[in-house]
Parts: sequence; structure tokens; C-alpha cells
Amino acid sequence: MPRLPAFAALLGGLLFCSSAPAVDIDPASYGFPLHNPFEATIATTPPELRPALPPDSEIDQRDYSLSLRPERPFALPGNLRQVRDLRYRLARQAHAAPLIFVISGTGAHYASSLTEYLKRLFYGAGFHVVQLSSPTSYDFMTAASRAATPGLSREDADDLYRVMEAVRAQQADLPVTAYHLAGYSLGALHAAFVSQLDESRRGFGFKRVLLLNPPVNPYNSVRNLDRLVQTEVPGITGDLTFYELILGKLTRYFQRRGYIDLNEALLYDLQQSKERLTDEEMAMLIGSVFRFAAADIAYTSDLLNRRGLITPPNYPVEEDTPLAPFFIRALQCNFGCYLNEQLIPQWRLRHNGGSLSQLIGQISLQALQDYLAGSGKIAVMHNADDLILGPGDLAFLRRTFGERLTLYPFGGHCGNLNYRVNSQAMLEFLRD
Amino acid sequence: MTERARLVAAALLLGNLAHAAEPPAADGDGFKRPLDSLQFNSGRDQREFERASLATLNVPDPWERWNRRVYYFNYRLDEWVLLPVVRGYRYVTPEFVRSGVRNFFGNLGEIPSLLNSLLQLRGRRALDTGTRLLLNTTLGVAGLWDPATRMGLPRQSEDFGQTLGAYGVPTGPYLMLPILGPSNLRDAGGQLTDFLTANRVDYLNVATASGAHPEISALKAVDRRDGIPFRYGQLNSPFEYNQIRYVYTRARQLQIEE
Repeated sequence: MPRLPAFAALLGGLLFCSSAPAVDIDPASYGFPLHNPFEATIATTPPELRPALPPDSEIDQRDYSLSLRPERPFALPGNLRQVRDLRYRLARQAHAAPLIFVISGTGAHYASSLTEYLKRLFYGAGFHVVQLSSPTSYDFMTAASRAATPGLSREDADDLYRVMEAVRAQQADLPVTAYHLAGYSLGALHAAFVSQLDESRRGFGFKRVLLLNPPVNPYNSVRNLDRLVQTEVPGITGDLTFYELILGKLTRYFQRRGYIDLNEALLYDLQQSKERLTDEEMAMLIGSVFRFAAADIAYTSDLLNRRGLITPPNYPVEEDTPLAPFFIRALQCNFGCYLNEQLIPQWRLRHNGGSLSQLIGQISLQALQDYLAGSGKIAVMHNADDLILGPGDLAFLRRTFGERLTLYPFGGHCGNLNYRVNSQAMLEFLRD
Repeated sequence: MTERARLVAAALLLGNLAHAAEPPAADGDGFKRPLDSLQFNSGRDQREFERASLATLNVPDPWERWNRRVYYFNYRLDEWVLLPVVRGYRYVTPEFVRSGVRNFFGNLGEIPSLLNSLLQLRGRRALDTGTRLLLNTTLGVAGLWDPATRMGLPRQSEDFGQTLGAYGVPTGPYLMLPILGPSNLRDAGGQLTDFLTANRVDYLNVATASGAHPEISALKAVDRRDGIPFRYGQLNSPFEYNQIRYVYTRARQLQIEE
């Protein structure tokens, strides 16, 4: 009997040995110029190192909307009426072609810059492309989510799946030869859960599923993101707030140049100048962007469910209602706060949930370990210096995906997705 | 021998230093722990994000209810009328024609820029703008081309709102203008003044011609919308109104200080 664990270990060892190791991209030959993960996250790839992409004029695309009208006990408040229907964007090829769904990252909607970039890339490679908002985006929460409390991966994936089915029904005349799926950041986690859901529903039969910089354990990720606004930035006291400090640097920089020129190279030029931003300042900028996303999620979820944490339950909210008091409350709520005040209580209520570790076990990639390990059509591309990862996350990816994990040495969070080497690898994976 | 030992020691030391300058070593699984290199505020929860973000809400907006209604009016007008018209315009007009149209109206816009640069006693800017006007009206055939930019004289627009701001006139309440979008009392007054002045100057007789041919004004409006990349809903937030309000106000302040 005591031999059993040893035997199990041996068997496990054999299993792991038999799977090929991850593809580790060599830092020396990789060539991505930004080795600082914060710079990479904000600036992304220098324009001259990006892939050639088709311009808008060569893309046959349109926005469509779906009236899904999820059933809810409360009427839609007036200030959310403009997102009553769910928008998505479809870029169509003139001939029969494979279709790829792109799921956006945390708080991002279907037309956000990274989703747009991936559209161009995949369209240029001959795909029909459907761009979808993230289930954490307020338009999706309002127009497509039944619980309007994003964070439970399976439930979010279920909402996404309905949207994808509705898209297919609305575009019934589109000649599609095969379905593919891609997601970046939180959208990649969603893509994994959607893919698993599809195995039982058999609706699409995805041929390839591409996960770009997914969180492994979303709890680690949101803790990291919440921490980013806690960095030490000297000089932000009294009248000078953090934003004013950054704007001051930008203003001095522009004054020295003599004119304002907001272009894609702005951050590189700024980082070469005397006014360069420190790592702590860049971290705080990135953290701030995510905090605004957290505020939107907390506000929208509370309002749609009339929880009364931010907007009083019977407060009339119309188009012209001043929202500053609620914006102020929502801004105080980071991801941890949203989790504790809204997500966990509703999970306990509706899904008979228990402890935090149980929740994490259900919403992280680990929940799909067996499926992911045995599913050759799914691949992951990630960065060794991604801000949303925690210790042990990469070990899990290596163990689970083997050679289907490509690990890049630099890029921060999604900063190298528009680097030529990466875009090439994505297209190669989707092609074969 | 000692010489050599010292060299070796120096090499080792240098090697160590060079190593110390490298980012922290990765975990066994290759993870580089990017957050470990950051200095965090020692008092946990510093609330600077909250403080800075709440400060962005300090824009005088006593007419908020009216402004919000206009914001939604513009939102729908954009979606149902302006953007479809712009799409049609792009569809039927080749790129070089559109850029000609944009340059032409842009060239007319140099007149208020020139006057306002003069009013602000900004000689250099007035000279640059005057030169642009001359070059583009002559070499650029009534402004259809923009050779001045290629000669290293980029457009530097100044309006009467900026002039007022430069002389210390406060912004007044925030104001969402129908069709025209975010503004404030001072800048709206400035826009009206610039418009009346341009009519008065009647450069290239465009103002007079527009009186007889409203299609010129329509073209100008379509061109203007075509040139602004902003889309309502683009900030993708239930608080977009508040965010636009801050960005507009702060951007104007920067333009005036610049």
C-alpha cells in the first residue's frame, strides 16, 4: 500500500516526461526591444516592428446589434438605454472562409484597440472575423448577461456562447468553412471555457482555440492589478494629484519639443527624454486603467441587480441623472471589493457556493486542467514578465499545455501581441 | 601574479555588478515576477488613485441635466445621421478629394488662428500661421493642398476661446452644445466670435458663397465630422459623460498653457 504514492509519482513523472516541453523563445534572438514590462504594456510594439495589416478601406466590415434582452426582475435604467442591444462587429470576406471569434479582455468592448488589431491581422490572413465585447464590459453586462455579475467563468462562457449562436443565426448567409476562437487577457480565459462548453453542445466544433496572455488564476491577477495603484510615487501630495504629475511631465515634454504630437511613438520618445516615467508611475497608470474598469463593473452590476451598494435601490436613474455621486462610490471599489461585495455573495446565493478557495478553483484555468491537457487544438502564448501572473502559474501552463505553450521572454501584459514575431506565430497556429 | 589576481578579482566584481544590474532572476518555471521590482507605498492603501480620480470630477457643471440630454441627443444624431452620412461621403469620394476638401476648409481656419495668435501677442506663431496661409493659398491652389506642412510649418490652431483663456477669462459652466459637442460658456462664445469674424473677413468669398449655397456649409460639416475620430460610446463606460467632460476641460487648459 505505501508503494502506491511512489507508483503514482512515477506514473506522473512518466506522463510529464512523455509530453514535450513548452516552447521557450530565446531572449537573444527574440528581438522585441522593450525589456521593461511596464513600458511594453503601455506602449506595445514600436510601429516599425508591427506586421503589415490591411487598412480599413480594404476591410468589408459593419457593426450589428443583437436584441437578446436577458430576463431580469428589473427594468433597464435610462442611463443604460444606449447599450440595450449588444453590438458586435463582423468583417466578412467576399468568399467562403473560416470564421474566427475574438473575445476582448477585461472591461474592453468589441471595438477596443487590441480587438481591432486582431481583426486586421486575422482578416488579412483570410478569416471572417467577429469581434465580441468582454462579459466584463458594461455593454455586454447590460445587453447579454443574465446575472450581470461577471467573474464566474462558466456562467460568462455560457452568456458568450448564446451571443455567438445569435451572431451565427443573424449571419446565416455567411459562407463559413470552419470556426476558430481567440481571446486575449481575460478573454483568453473565457475562450478556454467557451471551448469546453462547445465540446458538450457541439454547436461550433472549434478547429483551433488561441489563448493570448490568459490569467491562470484570476484571483492572483486581480490582486496584482489592485496592487498596481499602491506603488510609491514621490511628489503626489497636496494639490498635485497623480494625474497632474503625469500631465505635468507630458506638458514639459511637449513644451520642449515646441508642439503637441500625439502619436504611437509618444511613449518611446518620452522615455528617452528627461521627463521619462518611472516604473512606479507606469504601474500606477496601468493600475488606474484597470481601476476604471473595476468601477464600471461594480457600478453596472449593482445597478442592474438593484443591490443598493452604489445606487440606492429605488433611486430613479434617467438619461439626465447626474451620476457623480455614484461614480465616486464606484471609484472606491477595486476588484477585491467587487469580489467580496457582489460576486461572492451572489455566487453563494445562486450557486450554493462556499469558500474563496472553492470559488478560485471553479473560475481559474485549473478548473479545466484535464480538458486543456488533452485538447490538442488549444494553444497558449504568454510572456515571462506578464503583470497578471503569479508564482506557479507558468508551471501550471507548462504542465498542462506542454509544447502548446509558447513563452516569450518579454512583452509585459499583451504588449507584444502586435510584434511581427508573435503575429506570425498566431497565424501559423491557426493555419495548420 | 598579484597583478593577474587583481584583474581576475576586478573581472569577477564587474561580472557581479553587471549581473546585479540585470532584472531579478526568474523562477524555476521562468516567471520573472515583474511586480517584485516595484517600490510599494509603505502605508498600505494610499488611496491616491481615488484622490486623483475624484479631483477629475471638479468641473463646474450647473446645467448637467440639460447637458446630459444634449449628450444623448448628439449620441443618437451621430449614430443615425452624421456617421451614416460620413460613411456615404467616404464611399463616393476618393481619398485625394477628401483630403483636398479638408485642406481647403483647414486653410480657411487659418484666418481665426492668425487673428487669435496676434491677439495673444504670439508673434512667432502668427508669423508661422500667416506664412502657412500665404503658401497654401498660392502654391496649394486656394488651400486644396498643404505644402506648408511638408515644408516644416505644421498647423497650430488658435481660437478665440484660447485667447480669452490666455487673458485669464475663466471657463464658466461646462456646456454640451447640440451637434458641436463638449464646450463651456467661454469657448462657446469664442466659437461664435470666430464664426462671425470668419464671415466678416469672407476669405476667398467662401462665406458669401455659403450664403447662396448651403451645400458648402453641409460639406464643411461632413468634412469636420469625418476628421474627428471620436465616437460616442467609444470610452465604453457608464460614466462616459463625466470622462469626456474632464478630458475636454483639461485638454483646453493644456492648449491655453501651451
